[in-house]
Amino acid sequence: MHSQRRSLLFALLCVAGTALVDASASPLPPLVNPASQEHHVGKVIFTELVTPDLAGARKFYGGLFGWTFSDVQSKNAAYAVASLNGQPIAGLIHKEFATGERRQPAWLSFIAVRDVDATSTLAVQHGAKVLFAAHNVPGRGRQAVLADPQGAVFAVLASSSGDPPDVLAEPGEWIWSSLITGDPDAGAAFYQTLFDYEVFDLPADEGAQHLLLATDNYARASANSWPANKPNIHPHWLNYVRVEDADKTTAKAVALGGRILVEPRLDRHGGKVAVITDPAGAAFGLLEWPDTESKEVAQ
Amino acid sequence: MKSSAWRWSAATLAIGLLASLSSGCVVSGGGYGYDDNVGVGVGYYEPAVVEYGGWGRGYRVGPSRGEQRADHRDGHAHAYRSAPASHAAPSIPSRSRGGGESRGSESHPR
Repeated sequence: MHSQRRSLLFALLCVAGTALVDASASPLPPLVNPASQEHHVGKVIFTELVTPDLAGARKFYGGLFGWTFSDVQSKNAAYAVASLNGQPIAGLIHKEFATGERRQPAWLSFIAVRDVDATSTLAVQHGAKVLFAAHNVPGRGRQAVLADPQGAVFAVLASSSGDPPDVLAEPGEWIWSSLITGDPDAGAAFYQTLFDYEVFDLPADEGAQHLLLATDNYARASANSWPANKPNIHPHWLNYVRVEDADKTTAKAVALGGRILVEPRLDRHGGKVAVITDPAGAAFGLLEWPDTESKEVAQ
Repeated sequence: MKSSAWRWSAATLAIGLLASLSSGCVVSGGGYGYDDNVGVGVGYYEPAVVEYGGWGRGYRVGPSRGEQRADHRDGHAHAYRSAPASHAAPSIPSRSRGGGESRGSESHPR
């Protein structure tokens, strides 16, 4: 009889253990909650960071922007959803570096589409490569990861809960994205094919291009030529978090183990920009964006 | 007594098996899409960026706020289709999440 009880106890412990493990694995939260019918094709609606130091990233971004994290545990990877004010704004994935691999972690931009498969097909027809084919992600929608013809990596996402509304980003939220590339002209044409962007040519230095990509009469991103004296940069998307004070945030990032790539500097119309990395080396931008013209920084 | 013990063992095994299967379904993701390929495929990493910066004084990346366009200034044809000349370059959204509007970053009407 004792052995029977031991067996039953063992079985119950198994069930309890399973329940505990299950409880630690929460599903991906929807991008928009409650779900909406809004769709903003061409808008960067989510970002993901692949990092070899998930714990370090949580500490860094939590300390810098006040992001909070919830875990989504899967068999081969740890995934944390970063939120601000209850809204999911990023995903962080743990992945180890291969020994000797000269690569660095990076933020991946997810651009809103209505039809991931059709967009992937169109992208390939225009010279893109599929890095991760279209697939469903329960709770989020359908997504694919692509490299544009010049090699910049981006993702497309058809959010099953709709796209976040067109509102001014709060401090700590993503506010802007730039494609930094050797040929912004061709880059703009490629992304215009996918997202039907309106393209505006903004004044820029001689030999440089600053193209504005817009949908729904809102600026969504820019396509920039890389600096003339830096011809060997790999084409990439750079995402910017809105901050209240670029100088202070940059200093705080350094104190948290980050590194400065571009010191805070005035950009257009009082916007102040800096580019930094997290402790693992993933680059991202900071944008101090005055919410009224009266607050613009004198240039 | 022996058959009773056997039944208990069988029941225990069945419960344990069910628990394991249940655990496997959830913990392994079962469709989170973040199992074998960590969700973004090909072990997504950017190649090492050896250099960064070098942004000269006039190098700009940020959004515009009603700025004049520079289209066609050089008369060159572009690979992209320029927005119609009647369209002003828009800005980023200015409406706050609470619904309030600020003047500065509103998109400019066409």
